[in-house]
Amino acid sequence: MAGRKVKIEVRNLSKHFDDLIVLHQMDFDIYEGEFLCVVGPTGCGKTTFCNVVTGLLPITEGSITMGGEKIDFKKHNVSFVFQEPSCIPWRTIWDDVKIGLEIRKVPKKEINERVSAILDLTGLTEFKDFYPSQISAGMKQRVVIARSFVTEPDLLLMDEPFGQLDSSTRFYIENQLIKVWQKTKRTIIFVTHNLEEAVYLSERILVCTQKPTGIKEEVIVDLPHPRDITDREFVKIRNRVTDLVKWW
Amino acid sequence: MANDKNAGSGKLGTFGYNALALSIFILLWTIVSWISESLFLPTPWTVLKSFLDLCTYGDVEGISLGMHIFKSTLRIFAGFVAACILGIPLGILMGLYPRVYDSTKSVIEPIRFIPPVAWIPLVIVLLVGFSRYAFIIWLGAFFPIFIGTLLSVRSVNPTHIDVPRSFGAKRLYIIRKIVIPSTLPDIFTGMRVGMGIGWDCIMAAEMIGGENEGLGVMILKYAELIRIEDIMVGMIVIGAIGFFINEIFIFVERRVFKWKEAIVIS
Amino acid sequence: MTNNYAEKMKTMGLNFFTLAMVLVLWTLIAYWQKSPFFATPYDIVLGFVQMVTVGDVEGYRLWSHMLHSLVRVSAGFAAACLVGIPGGLLLGLYPKIYDRTRILVEPIRFISPIAWIPMAIVLLVGFSRYIFVIWVASFFPIFVSTLWSVRQVNAVYVNVARVAGASRLFIIRKIIFPSILPSVIGGMRISLGISWMCIVAAEMIGGQMVGIGRLILKSAMVTRMDLVVVGMISIGFVGYATNELIIFIEKRIFRWRAAVSIE
Ligand SMILES: Nc1ncnc2c1ncn2[C@@H]1O[C@H](COP(=O)(O)OP(=O)(O)OP(=O)(O)O)[C@@H](O)[C@H]1O
Ligand SMILES: [Mg+2]
Repeated sequence: MAGRKVKIEVRNLSKHFDDLIVLHQMDFDIYEGEFLCVVGPTGCGKTTFCNVVTGLLPITEGSITMGGEKIDFKKHNVSFVFQEPSCIPWRTIWDDVKIGLEIRKVPKKEINERVSAILDLTGLTEFKDFYPSQISAGMKQRVVIARSFVTEPDLLLMDEPFGQLDSSTRFYIENQLIKVWQKTKRTIIFVTHNLEEAVYLSERILVCTQKPTGIKEEVIVDLPHPRDITDREFVKIRNRVTDLVKWW
Repeated sequence: MANDKNAGSGKLGTFGYNALALSIFILLWTIVSWISESLFLPTPWTVLKSFLDLCTYGDVEGISLGMHIFKSTLRIFAGFVAACILGIPLGILMGLYPRVYDSTKSVIEPIRFIPPVAWIPLVIVLLVGFSRYAFIIWLGAFFPIFIGTLLSVRSVNPTHIDVPRSFGAKRLYIIRKIVIPSTLPDIFTGMRVGMGIGWDCIMAAEMIGGENEGLGVMILKYAELIRIEDIMVGMIVIGAIGFFINEIFIFVERRVFKWKEAIVIS
Repeated sequence: MTNNYAEKMKTMGLNFFTLAMVLVLWTLIAYWQKSPFFATPYDIVLGFVQMVTVGDVEGYRLWSHMLHSLVRVSAGFAAACLVGIPGGLLLGLYPKIYDRTRILVEPIRFISPIAWIPMAIVLLVGFSRYIFVIWVASFFPIFVSTLWSVRQVNAVYVNVARVAGASRLFIIRKIIFPSILPSVIGGMRISLGISWMCIVAAEMIGGQMVGIGRLILKSAMVTRMDLVVVGMISIGFVGYATNELIIFIEKRIFRWRAAVSIE
């Protein structure tokens, strides 16, 4: 990976909740346009990691910079697919998806075009006037994904986004995600439990240890897209990652 | 909205700040009332003195504060107990037989919407003495208890009732072991709300009702004499009693919940 | 569907039947008692007609009593909303301020609003007395429910907006405000119920000759029990109507909550 432009520098990052040490002296870079997966045991601090990277939570020690400065939502175009359900209950699907564009004061006409396009892509057009309470959990997750894509972010964080989806929708959206990523070359940080998903999607996998969490190992996945899960190389990498997480 | 500083790490804890706020308040109150020398703004010390006087010598008619408190709480207690005795069983019964409630709504609902205080003049004409107050309290406390119980019984999970029934359990058994335990928290909430309204009602009833004893009539008497410090004492006592009763409810509620959880665990 | 309809008709029929039974019983007892303290339903209808056309013993008509009570409650209630909602919002957003000064606010909550009436009589005059009492009565439910609901806003919704670069004002307007609205309106409904009770007490004690509470009390003093009951029914009706109004508004605003069901 040498020679790629660094997008985010994480230096000596620690995060404590009172006495609980969650992240401990993490040091790594995230490259421009990279698709990075983060895997780790439950409760190790993956969500916390996403929260501090974006600055939603304050850092205890160390620094995280993007292009030399602290991440600022007003300046940088960041999107976050939260782990917990995050559809806004009092907004229709349409209004929910457009919230990021509304905040950035994008002209109305452009909002309409972009929201229509993304709803088409995620198969939500016919539900655009529904409220979240009227659609299924999987569809809600699709709304959230549409909402985070529509702003065309420079940095996209996805915290176990596909847990709620059935396998065929999941597969479909994974491929969609890859296509969007290949076309736009945005930086994506993708948190997951599912090792196969990690190997299928990413360029690089960060395997985290149990608390206090550090990085156990980086695994480079140098396979062309679209990947074949029965391919020998693929299976080899998957087994390697599986070995790494045996101690979970 | 995220706060960088850890909570509670300041020099003063929440308790300390509260104590500080209270001291500043009392200090300001003292200074302002000293400077203004107004009849309408007694100093904290005047209020304290009034309190002691009311306890030892009693009010203008020689009735001591303790007596007023005793009368008011006795009335509340009688009306409240009556409301529980009637409201809870009736709520359970009508909850179990929704038909009955649904077909008597035309009588119950209009009565429910008449504020209990509006009954006071009628009650003054029709009843005498203690029964007046007890009736008003009963009326005020009855509906929250009754409706709370009724709605709660209606929302008992039907499968919880069907399961023992399929084992041939008797009706009484189901009511005792399933319906009552699962509605108990709501009954308690209803009782707490009922008690609150009961306090409002006793105040109004005592002010309008014509007798000389009771906290409500005590503060009204002092309003006629423009003795703010004595009114304040009365209000503080009323607030304190309200607070303690509320605390008792919360305490018992916690106890009840604990007991329920213990049963679930073992 | 037809079954449902038949069921509804039956319930309605039974309701009519109970009401009729109660009225008949009432009439019979009243006739049998022959007491001036016991008005028959027929007397009450006559009393109602008198109240509408001629007015009470002092010539105030029913609508005038109702209007006065309604205006007093509305003014006090509006004032309580005006102070309680922004106040609750502010202290909810800065919980430390509330936590550190609770001791000044909390004890007042436990003083029954009716116990403020003597104080209002001493310190205030006329219309302001009523407004003050209603304000005290409705302030706390509105304030406390606003405050608590701000604390309970789901952090994820706030974060969704924050990540998109939203300003504080946007978050308050578009995230926090819609989140707390259901509890705020719930608090308003409770307040209104208490207000109707307090206005009756305040009018009975407070001195002005007009208002439904006053109508009830002065009619009782001259043992016009028919007018007493007319007053009671009127206050019940106004309370019911305002409550329904809020429920109607609730249903309108909270279409998104339809699935969760309000009642
Ligand atoms: N606000 C907080 N205050 C205190 N402790 C917290 C807080 N948030 C998270 N933690 C703790 O930090 C640890 C990491 O939590 P986190 O949610 O980041 O785990 P995770 O890796 O995302 O887990 P999962 O895979 O289950 O989503 C947990 O032990 C959790 O209890
Ligand atoms: Mg997580």
